[in-house]
Amino acid sequence: MLHIEVFVFNLNKDYFCSSMKVVYQSTYYTLYQSESQRCFYVDFVQKTVQMSFCQLLALRHKVLSIPIEDHFDSDLNKHGFELLQLCNKEHLFILNTLEVLDLKSLVEQGFVLLGVSAKSEALSV
Amino acid sequence: MKDIARQAMSIKVESMDLLNSQIKMEAHASATYLAMASWCEQNGFFTSAKFFFKQAEEEREHMMKIFNFLIDAGGSPYSPEVTNINHDYSSIVDVFEHTLDHEIAVTKSIHNIVMKARELGDLTTERFLDWFVMEQVEEENTIRDILDMIAVTGTEGVGLQVIDDHVGNWIN
Ligand SMILES: [Fe+2]
Repeated sequence: MLHIEVFVFNLNKDYFCSSMKVVYQSTYYTLYQSESQRCFYVDFVQKTVQMSFCQLLALRHKVLSIPIEDHFDSDLNKHGFELLQLCNKEHLFILNTLEVLDLKSLVEQGFVLLGVSAKSEALSV
Repeated sequence: MKDIARQAMSIKVESMDLLNSQIKMEAHASATYLAMASWCEQNGFFTSAKFFFKQAEEEREHMMKIFNFLIDAGGSPYSPEVTNINHDYSSIVDVFEHTLDHEIAVTKSIHNIVMKARELGDLTTERFLDWFVMEQVEEENTIRDILDMIAVTGTEGVGLQVIDDHVGNWIN
């Protein structure tokens, strides 16, 4: 179902551009808001994922819960990769250290710009 | 830009994070009181065991209050992981002293969230916590009264059994 939507999005770039607004763009990723569909899109480079607000909250929780310090300890995270499952296991991403850090900044800044977070630094999750 | 996120959620995400930590703390308190009930049962303090079974239930209710508030506010509550429950106590006095320490820690944590909510201008969360602030005054007072009763009764002779019977006065 979702793949069809992404396919439509690829074909219909004009429609996408007119109804989407960029909320925040980090080095690798972009968070969009669609007013007409009342939802959000995250462009993960490999694919763009449509998300409800709840799913965006879940993304934030998962990303901010990743213990990034472990990436600098070869016993705790030998290869420096994280598996990220999104939207009730519909999507699976493998992220390296830099991508995790970038995604953390995307969700932190994104929520500030969406008006539901006061600070750029997240409190403990 | 339309505030779709704000329309979906009435509180700040920082408050949501802190309330999720509080859910964990209430769950931990509930499990700790259950461990104390177990200790009391095994050591012959049957009235105190009843007291702690009831406390365990109350802490779970506190947890559910926060859980449901997060749902009402459009946030996402997380089911807590509870680990590190202590089951070892040296005496019934030790049990109640730990209980008071635990309640004071909960009070501090609630106060901290109130102050953070105030900083964030999150009036909804601040008002929601009013009930918890007053509830903690009662909780602390109950345990303090029990510790006073223990001090007056003393632990010599039949003291311990008298203490256990008197704890019944604080089970409503
Ligand atoms: Fe409580």
